[in-house]
Amino acid sequence: MSIANRQDQNVLTGARDRSGGRLRVLFAQATGSDGQAAAGEDDHQRFARLVLPHLNDAYSLARWITANRADAEDVVQDASLRAFRAIANVADGNSRAWVLTIVRNTAYTWLRKNRPSTLVVVDDLEAVESAQGVTADLDHETPETALIAKADAALLEAAIAELPPAYRETLILRDVQGLGYREISQVTGVPIGTVMSRLARGRAQVMKTIGRKSS
Amino acid sequence: MMRAATYEDAMLRVHAYVDGELDPANALGVEASMTNDPALAAERERIEALRRLVRERLPQEASPFGLRARVEATIGMRGARVQPSWRALAASIAVTAILASGATSMLVAPLEVNAAREGIVDAHIRSLMARQPIDVASSDRHTVKPWFNGRIPQAPRVVDLGKEDFPLVGGRIDVIGASPVPTLVYGHGKHLISLTAVPAAGSADSAPASSETGGYNILRWIEDGIAYWAISDASATELDKFADLFRTTPPDQ
Repeated sequence: MSIANRQDQNVLTGARDRSGGRLRVLFAQATGSDGQAAAGEDDHQRFARLVLPHLNDAYSLARWITANRADAEDVVQDASLRAFRAIANVADGNSRAWVLTIVRNTAYTWLRKNRPSTLVVVDDLEAVESAQGVTADLDHETPETALIAKADAALLEAAIAELPPAYRETLILRDVQGLGYREISQVTGVPIGTVMSRLARGRAQVMKTIGRKSS
Repeated sequence: MMRAATYEDAMLRVHAYVDGELDPANALGVEASMTNDPALAAERERIEALRRLVRERLPQEASPFGLRARVEATIGMRGARVQPSWRALAASIAVTAILASGATSMLVAPLEVNAAREGIVDAHIRSLMARQPIDVASSDRHTVKPWFNGRIPQAPRVVDLGKEDFPLVGGRIDVIGASPVPTLVYGHGKHLISLTAVPAAGSADSAPASSETGGYNILRWIEDGIAYWAISDASATELDKFADLFRTTPPDQ
């Protein structure tokens, strides 16, 4: 059986609520009755404990998605307000994945509203993903390991920046922020199979860009 | 078609293998497939090279200092109970302590180690929750050290470790027990390291000893009658490196 089960993937991504509404439900279910605030802890204290420690990660993800520092600050501010409104209903468990989920959804909503021209429509990408196999991306003109190892910071940053948003966020969440596949699946709202193929394609494209530009 | 799907899976599994996402049985399977297929082995090397590149060379950017304040203002937290009253309290205790101790302030009694540990962990956590983890923000040791001079009996040794990737972020005064003590704050990647210097007159020098409390790594050592406490959520290895550098770098070079 194929790891990236395309049928499954299309059904699930198609059903995904891009407003982020579904995620609240998802997390609410996951939290159950354990998600109640600890006794004596008010919402501000809870926010300070669960959200503020992840502000750097939140900003970093927002900056990679928006490609702009000022926009990233606006996104983090909006996302914080959303997080604060939901703070009483979220479990202590994985607050980082929860915060990043909100930041990610807020970032796309924000871009759609304020920078519609910069956003590659995600549906188009999914159509492309289904049409061609991952191998088409993976095994052509991939550079030698030595060439990759020599790339400088500016080239690497540019190569990541020019990835399609879905590949870029997956690669950032994995290779920069160190999330596991399951967490990335939670944050981006796609099945693990899709996370895997996006990660592989994103990495392959970054390698190819490095190979092309450093030769 | 079948071949392509299988090969695609094999590639994805190599990525999952490098990412440590496979259970032992599947990991062994991938290892076998890499032995048999040089293309898969090459892919593994490329992935590892790329991951190393991202880790070592991609610039990590901490969020701007003002962002935290903006976020706290957005949710109506600024001016709330979380930090400012503490800051005011700390300042007033510091002033009182200095006034009360007068000329003998150099001889503040050594503090109980465990009490000090608690105080230092608390101060570090509180500082992370405060609007800024520091009272004086500067990467210049010639700014930070004089700032302490006016406020506490003994300004700490301040060294510049910016070249070694531990830039000085600033300093603050913590209150441990009832004594105001200087704390230097260094950055490292996305982590902050609080280094608190607690008077320990009469104590013999000791090498760094590590411990861990509530997810924070702690190192403590004594040098020239000062107990240094380094605390951070950075890894123990990084904190070791920091302590090494701090101890071996002369303050004025």
